[in-house]
Amino acid sequence: MTELRQLFFESAGELVQKLNDEAMRLEKSPGHAETARSLRRTVHTLKGDAAACGFRELSELAHEFEDVLALENTAAAASVPEIALRAADVFAALLEAYRTGTKLPSIQSLRADIARLAHPVPGGAGKAKKTKKKAAKITNRWSEYEQLAIARAAATGKPVHHVVVQVDPQCAMPIAGRQMIQFALAGLGEVLALYPVEGSHEPITRIEAALASEKPAEQIRAKCSIPTIALTVRVTPVRIQTLSTTALPLVSGADSARNDEVAPSEGGAADITADITSGIASKEAAATGEPAVAPAMPTGPDNLLRVDAERIDSVLNLVGELILAKSMLQQALLEFGQRFPKDVLRGKFADAMAFQGRVLNDLQHSVMKIRMVPVDQLFRRFPRIVRDVGRHCGKEVELLIRGGQTDLDKSILDAIAEPLTHLVRNAIGHGLETAEERVRAGKRPQGTLRLGAYHQGNQVVIEVSDDGSGIDSEKVRQRALSQRLLNAEQAARLSETETLDLILQPGFSTAEEITELSGRGVGLDVVQSVLGRLKGTIQIETAPGRGTTFRLRLPLTLAIIRALMFRVEQRLYALPLNTVAEIARTVEGDIHQVEHYDVLQLRNDVLPLLRLGSKPPSGPERARRKVFVLVINSGERKFGVIVDGLEGEDELVIKALDDQSITTDLVSGASILGDGRVVLILNMIALMDRFTRGRTDANGPRMDGLLSSVVPAASSIESGNRRARGAAGGLA
Amino acid sequence: MNKPVRVLVVDDSALMRKLIPKILEQDASIEVVGTAIDGHFGLKKIDDLSPDVVTLDLEMPGLNGIDTLKEIMRRWRLPVIVVSSHSTAGAAITLKALTLGAFDFVAKPKDVSARMPEIAGELIKKIRAAAQSAGVQTQFLPGEVGGKQPGKLRPVAPTHIIAIGVSTGGPNALQYLFSKLPVEFSGSILVVQHMPDGFTELFAKRLDESCPIRVKEAQSGDLLVAGRALICPGNRHMKAKKLPLGNVVLLGDDTPVNGHRPSVDVLFHSVAEEFGSQAMGLLMTGMGEDGAAGLGEIRAAGGFTVAQSQETCVVFGMPKAAIERGYAMRVADLQELPSILQAQCTPDQGRGGDGTRGDTSEVKRATTSGSN
Repeated sequence: MTELRQLFFESAGELVQKLNDEAMRLEKSPGHAETARSLRRTVHTLKGDAAACGFRELSELAHEFEDVLALENTAAAASVPEIALRAADVFAALLEAYRTGTKLPSIQSLRADIARLAHPVPGGAGKAKKTKKKAAKITNRWSEYEQLAIARAAATGKPVHHVVVQVDPQCAMPIAGRQMIQFALAGLGEVLALYPVEGSHEPITRIEAALASEKPAEQIRAKCSIPTIALTVRVTPVRIQTLSTTALPLVSGADSARNDEVAPSEGGAADITADITSGIASKEAAATGEPAVAPAMPTGPDNLLRVDAERIDSVLNLVGELILAKSMLQQALLEFGQRFPKDVLRGKFADAMAFQGRVLNDLQHSVMKIRMVPVDQLFRRFPRIVRDVGRHCGKEVELLIRGGQTDLDKSILDAIAEPLTHLVRNAIGHGLETAEERVRAGKRPQGTLRLGAYHQGNQVVIEVSDDGSGIDSEKVRQRALSQRLLNAEQAARLSETETLDLILQPGFSTAEEITELSGRGVGLDVVQSVLGRLKGTIQIETAPGRGTTFRLRLPLTLAIIRALMFRVEQRLYALPLNTVAEIARTVEGDIHQVEHYDVLQLRNDVLPLLRLGSKPPSGPERARRKVFVLVINSGERKFGVIVDGLEGEDELVIKALDDQSITTDLVSGASILGDGRVVLILNMIALMDRFTRGRTDANGPRMDGLLSSVVPAASSIESGNRRARGAAGGLA
Repeated sequence: MNKPVRVLVVDDSALMRKLIPKILEQDASIEVVGTAIDGHFGLKKIDDLSPDVVTLDLEMPGLNGIDTLKEIMRRWRLPVIVVSSHSTAGAAITLKALTLGAFDFVAKPKDVSARMPEIAGELIKKIRAAAQSAGVQTQFLPGEVGGKQPGKLRPVAPTHIIAIGVSTGGPNALQYLFSKLPVEFSGSILVVQHMPDGFTELFAKRLDESCPIRVKEAQSGDLLVAGRALICPGNRHMKAKKLPLGNVVLLGDDTPVNGHRPSVDVLFHSVAEEFGSQAMGLLMTGMGEDGAAGLGEIRAAGGFTVAQSQETCVVFGMPKAAIERGYAMRVADLQELPSILQAQCTPDQGRGGDGTRGDTSEVKRATTSGSN
């Protein structure tokens, strides 16, 4: 059954998302019958699934909602989308509570909304049903037989009283109380009917009786007013739709003689028939209102396989190990070749290796493809978010999504959900202007938010752009100054791009006022740090008055990267290959000092440098020492990284690193090479961050020896080699 | 049975497509050969897999359940078991499915982890019965049910009490039978139809709208009157009872009998006891043997007993059990039943007296004997 539960949560989550989508669609085209039907169907399925799994609250709530939606007039009501959205939220909250076993959220307000949806419809089936029920409860709950008895008593001239006793809520023994009232009534005359009936399970809050008695109403009232049992007692003449006189021959079989005594009762026109036939017609619509739907191509193929992500991870992990094995074989082949250069076996080995390599490559890509999901899975949440945030900010926002079919590793997708939401909220809250401001600026009042995704090389690019006012870099600078993120001197030195990047710093906020949605001073730095973890980058582009674009670049997958490996102080490091624009060879003598940092004249540019190792001692030796400079090009920023030597490029299977073995954010993962050596994969964003901070902080530490602190940690990886291999090839 | 029953599950809920096969997995004689996400796929898979029985959800996107059912009936006449939801709309559409030829229905599983054996038992039993059945007899399908102006209830004491027990295939059979009874039918009919809670009210209303006689879901204290059928509500038991002012039905919540609530035996027993020779028992199509013993009691009490013939039963279970024990005085085709009922209640034929007066005296006699 746990498997079933899991499936339930998965599919229920999708249903809630679908409900969101449909509600939004219905909001755009109110009263669209097909959408409304589809919405109801979604609620229906959720109800059924929840009931099957025994999640009563969810199932009942969905049931109520479905029933209301089934009413002809409510389905088209303007408030349906709004309530559906709220329902989606409550359902999601319920699901979460079930899943985590926490306290269920309150559902009362939604319940009230749903009831209200059913209520104001004049003449709607729901209301008719309700009022009828209510009426039946108060005035006419007598059964046919009791009606007959009442009518007969009335016909014989005995007054029939309708006695209603409101039971004292303090009454400790309502069942005994009922008994006492019954005795009291029996002493007064003939009890023709008494509710609740004996042995009934309904709570006794009110006792109703039909009493045929000659006694005056006042006396009946007094007799029934038993302290601690009866709160109030009401005695009225029975107002029933008395059976017509013709009803009386019913007893003909038993006693036809008595018929003659019966005089026509006053309300004789009404008869049981009226009661029996009323309320039949209304439900017909529900059954017949199922028009043939135009056959549309079904959306999802049925032979879809749901597989636990863990299983795929373990396959991917094994593929990683295979790649490792391949490297080991290659290493062995190399040594073999060196030892027996003439051996014919070498060629055979090489052929086999090449073939194996190709297959392995295909295998790896196939497995990676399994993990790939369309970005749409994430994007489809945004219409709702944009709607809600827009409404909250009083801004009208149109959301344009493109590239939803772009595939991305599931774990990356999950990881960027939060940062992306943040960027979107931020774009609406800060990026877009209000309608008045927009009109004043000569734009159309509705703001546009674009969400896009596309592949670029080995990366996926996700863009969030708005057509708002853009970011005023001067304002950012001022803000940063006032928040003491940097001093005036540093501020003056910042380039445009670097200034914009300030908004990604912890503690930065440009919002004029702090709103609930965005700008609490925490925020965009979260985006930055998540991207760092994912080995992605973020780039901001803004044009005053025209809008801002946040461009996230992410690796296709977290598990395997193509990397350039290099040595710094005998230790092996790697950077994702796609971050390296070019490699320059130079000697230490060509590296110059400008203010506090190293620069290299590369063609016509002056390239600022970042030294990962410690600076070699000065002297003539040093000037001749050969080094490599990796030119890193990230957005508009360009800098060089000084390394001692290059090791080559390779596909690295990233192994998980836990926080214990690595204490610096400069390293985002590790890998093991075919010959057993450990390579540390550097975190681009953190590197860039150091670079920027080092530059702006004139009195800060020198930009060398960055990796010295990493070294001991790295050795612990090596010793924990086996453990690292066993760990899932997920993210560090 | 050597060959397993091949079942196709058509449901748009991913959960149900997993759950229903899981339920059926428990029975080795049933094999789920495939699942389909909606009607289009369902029809395609019937073509590909040729299942013996189809379980069908009615609320689906694309081709909905009703249209799918129509198509299945048109092309294959396969027995279809509708998996129905508990809402009012669900009941309406389920009944519609039955009139279109669905073999039977089960309520959507509820709270599976707690009630698995119960749910599985019902579904498995129905699928097995469906596989063995001769299929739905289209000649008795009512087609589109047209509305009628409900006639006035004639609060006249009935000449006879006719107790009917019916299960699978019942809705259509009752529809057929009641539609052939005239508005002035002088008997009072009591029906126990095996049907879950929530379906009987609408079922009664439908019959009421489409048949000359009046039909009502029974409430405790309802009078037995001529020309009216009372249908026992789901999940209650119904008994007939004589009271000084008239005869009534009483509903109760006693434990299920023969695994059923309502149980035919409960009704038949009370009718035999209260009305004796005044009673007629009719056991119609359905699985199991609920009502067989009760029919014997009616016979023993001097009443008239009839069982529906194998040829016209969707499932020849309950009538068979009664016939085998010799409790059925007559075995009749469904087409014959309306005239048998009428003849029974008409004074000149049958066992009645001489005209209306005679009828009255008959009930009177029954009353007297009952109160003794």
